[in-house]
Amino acid sequence: MADTEKIIEIQVLRYRPEQDKEPVLQSFKVPFTDDMSVLQGLQYIKDFLDGTLSFRWSCRMAICGSCGMMVDGKPKLSCKTFLREYYPQGLRVDALAHLPIERDLMVSVEDFVTKLESIKPYIIPKEPRTLEQGEYLQTPQQRDMYEQFSSCINCMLCYAACPQYGLNPSFTGPGILALMHRYNADSRDGGQAERNELGYADEGYWGCTAVGYCSEVCPKGVDPANAINQNKMASAINYFTRFITPGGAEK
Amino acid sequence: MSARRPYVRSMDGWWKRDAYFISYMAREVTAVFVALYAIVLLFGVVRLSQGEAAFNGWLQYLTTPWMKVFHLIVLAVFCYHTWSWFNIMPKTMPIIFFGGKRLQPGTITGTGLVASVVACLAVLLIVRGMS
Amino acid sequence: MEVFKADVAIVGAGGGGLRAAIAVAEADPTLKIALISKVLPMRSHTVAAEGGAAAVTRPDDSLDHHFNDTVGGGDWLCEQDVVEYFVEHAHEEMVQMEHWGCPWSRKEDGHANVRPFGGMKIERTWFAADKTGFHMLHTLFQTSIKYPSIKRFDEYFCSDLMVEDGRCQGVLAIEIATGEFTLIQAKAVILATGGAGRVFRENTNGGIVTGDGMALAYRHGVPLRDMEFMQYHPTCMPRTGLLFTEACRGEGGLLLNKDGYRYLQDYGLGPAEDKPRNKFMELGPRDRLSQAFWHEQQKGRTIQGPFGSVVNLDLRHLGEAYLRERLPQIYELAEEFMGIDPAHTPVPVVPGVHYTMGGILADGKTASSLPGLYSVGECSSVGIHGANRLGSNSLTELIVFGKVAGVEAAKFAKSVSISNPGAIQKQAEAAQARALGVVNKSNGTERMAVLRNEMAQSMEDGCGIYRLGTTMQATCDKIDELRQRYKNLKLEDKSKVYNTEWLLGIELGYLLEVAQVIVYSAINRKESRGSHQRLDGFEERDDVKYLKHSLAYYTGDGAPRIEYGDVKITKSKPGTRAYGAAGVKADADRHAEGADNG
Ligand SMILES: Cc1cc2nc3c(=O)[nH]c(=O)nc-3n(C[C@H](O)[C@H](O)[C@H](O)COP(=O)(O)OP(=O)(O)OC[C@H]3O[C@@H](n4cnc5c(N)ncnc54)[C@H](O)[C@@H]3O)c2cc1C
Ligand code: SF4
Ligand code: FES
Repeated sequence: MADTEKIIEIQVLRYRPEQDKEPVLQSFKVPFTDDMSVLQGLQYIKDFLDGTLSFRWSCRMAICGSCGMMVDGKPKLSCKTFLREYYPQGLRVDALAHLPIERDLMVSVEDFVTKLESIKPYIIPKEPRTLEQGEYLQTPQQRDMYEQFSSCINCMLCYAACPQYGLNPSFTGPGILALMHRYNADSRDGGQAERNELGYADEGYWGCTAVGYCSEVCPKGVDPANAINQNKMASAINYFTRFITPGGAEK
Repeated sequence: MSARRPYVRSMDGWWKRDAYFISYMAREVTAVFVALYAIVLLFGVVRLSQGEAAFNGWLQYLTTPWMKVFHLIVLAVFCYHTWSWFNIMPKTMPIIFFGGKRLQPGTITGTGLVASVVACLAVLLIVRGMS
Repeated sequence: MEVFKADVAIVGAGGGGLRAAIAVAEADPTLKIALISKVLPMRSHTVAAEGGAAAVTRPDDSLDHHFNDTVGGGDWLCEQDVVEYFVEHAHEEMVQMEHWGCPWSRKEDGHANVRPFGGMKIERTWFAADKTGFHMLHTLFQTSIKYPSIKRFDEYFCSDLMVEDGRCQGVLAIEIATGEFTLIQAKAVILATGGAGRVFRENTNGGIVTGDGMALAYRHGVPLRDMEFMQYHPTCMPRTGLLFTEACRGEGGLLLNKDGYRYLQDYGLGPAEDKPRNKFMELGPRDRLSQAFWHEQQKGRTIQGPFGSVVNLDLRHLGEAYLRERLPQIYELAEEFMGIDPAHTPVPVVPGVHYTMGGILADGKTASSLPGLYSVGECSSVGIHGANRLGSNSLTELIVFGKVAGVEAAKFAKSVSISNPGAIQKQAEAAQARALGVVNKSNGTERMAVLRNEMAQSMEDGCGIYRLGTTMQATCDKIDELRQRYKNLKLEDKSKVYNTEWLLGIELGYLLEVAQVIVYSAINRKESRGSHQRLDGFEERDDVKYLKHSLAYYTGDGAPRIEYGDVKITKSKPGTRAYGAAGVKADADRHAEGADNG
């Protein structure tokens, strides 16, 4: 790793609701070293060039999910995207696509959080157990059935990658549907029937047209497209059986 | 009163924004060709029901230069369609364990593609054998 | 100003705050809970914890072992009755987390698995791959959604506590999205705001770990205890300070100097053996390992790289498949941030500031000296870490004492009512004016980043792995000066919507006060103990004078007043803190004398 300082141009889409009618691009020249992330570039801007630039961040290690943004049009965690990859041509940073911009690089998170709260994202025990009985037994393979879907850091990159969500924000969307599947696929859980009402609704699995980009951009290998599409079959069967079973169609 | 004023960006021309979206749209467009070809085949069935002459006329029509070009295009489009579907097939399947190990997406796609090639060859051979 | 009337207000929605909120909700569903966090709960820094959480689990382990490891590891500065409670309740809390869905790693038979950790005699660290904190935090957050009595205030920044009639009766919070203030009245308040690692330069902490709760309690007269004890973690990424979990060493990683030599054997941690052995070598405690690095550096045996002196963390012999299974996140960090494949190249590491052992003075039931105010988690000093925390004790602390804090606060809230709401409203208005003062000042000249960097550098110089009276004095002077200059802070952003610069400005005020407490507590402790090591004539532990907790009291603009409090000793008399073969011998000697507890 060379340690000489180079200068890179970072264009940032600014939006200050109290002064800008609509977002505007602003360009900054930032000295950088090869180990510096895009986030560190933005921090440099905030510290030394323009204290008003606003963005979310905390852990710097790709686990808290705060720092998602569009880097040259791609949804990325800015703390694990490196400036060196955009040198010498420079880069452009925008707030995550498909989400309303609150200010600069910060988007609204309310829709995401409301949806998260709506899917019963907790164990609804199949067989209740007291603490004295100790832990539920779960083999490593049973754990593997949901582990990947439990790795979601709620960064919302997949929402910025999902045109269906952009076109119709009532679609529950990839990350949250993956979380729903995480609980359904957990051997300890018995709440699938309750959650399916949401999953099988129009805003649920069927809002997805298998674009698949969500899984491509996910920084944690969650593969939300898989979580969604493996449920479509079950959903379709459910749909037809509802007509066959007596009284089922009214449900 | 809150000074908040969330700004919603337009979705116009969204599919041009990313190469990934373009290839997705291409997959969707190829589906139209699949439908078109189904119509062509359906037409053949209708002709068949109208008697041998009608059916032979339809077969004759398929050998015209225009129709040959159309078939070549459709073949290319179908190949893309097949490839793109098998590419996302792993995303449509539950997690599968095979001998204690998890089946990798690449294996699923590969198996799908090989299976479709084999199926095509088999159909070709059968058709050859019949004629 | 908006007013929200709660029974219990909890500031902080990390592991500690969330566990407390659930405990209140379960204790009495009619109690209204306000859960306030300056970031979405799942962004809290608990998310970054990698290694695991300790609880006695195996048949060959015992509560006494866990107790002895913790008390000895803390160089006997622990509250022993609290440690007893802690080790007794650890396991049931792990099981509780399991019932709530935490994806603990499993053995083939389906039981939760445990791994070894530094300073622990027997394997007892529950883990979820190397994302334990992440999984615990998300499990707690998602479970908390089940309880309708928990009203969350996400992205609300707490700027002050309301103290009226001699007790804490609420908090003032800024809604970050709008810049508007909300007064949250409460009959009991729990602080769960996390540590203060951001006071230092190279650290493993997130940007939000700025000691807010500590400073808030301190300003209202609650002492901060044992703040001189800051833990350096021996294996961090050079320059960024990002952490390579101790589990790397638990799984068999080796520390090598520039000659490829396992230098820890030269510092009383040997002998070096091929297999990892608990409390030996790489599995010694963090303070000792960080100190050994410092000595190697003095001897010129570290490796000079583009990021200064480093040593190597060698994981190559574990093989790619095993590393990917057991330490996936570490693999990713090394690959992406450093361009290193740990299966083929050793990873350069340095010590970095990691954990704040001290905190808001709390009794064994998390109550502070101010009635109605409780604290839990890294911001709190409930007394289990002493002079050096053992890895994997703090995640357990969050859930064991999170529950205690919730139950206690609920009890207190039911025993009192809000007194004098008019006076509280007035206080809130005054506090609002103070908070706005930070941003509305027009003639400031000091650039925030400059103040912050000077503070962090000075703290590293004065309160590093080894400390000297002279350098600590220089740091005292520097921090005093910075607190003065802070009054002249210049902010560019005058807006209301998501004004992050403003909040950073308030946080800097918190940081500086906590920094001052750390360095003044350090310079006054004239001995070496745990993570506080001096090289200026006070190289030894001095139980006669300093088997005492330091307590720092706020005095306004000046330096803190440092007092001392007793340490609760129940069953373990202070002994020699030894590891490796020397540790085995010391244990045997103590056992023969009957100084330990079995
Ligand atoms: C990299 C890393 C790895 C670790 N690994 C381990 C490990 O393996 N095992 C172990 O036992 N421990 C580990 N630790 C330590 C442990 O993770 C922390 O001590 C613990 O998670 C702290 O939890 P907390 O709930 O006290 O605070 P945090 O999780 O830091 O949460 C603080 C909360 O307070 C809120 N807050 C703070 N200030 C304000 C304010 N002014 N207004 C409103 N809200 C506020 C924040 O928003 C946040 O919600 C690790 C620590 C780090 C940094
Ligand atoms: S599924 Fe992946 S991309 Fe989507 S929110 Fe979760 S971690 Fe982020
Ligand atoms: S800062 Fe936490 S994910 Fe990037």
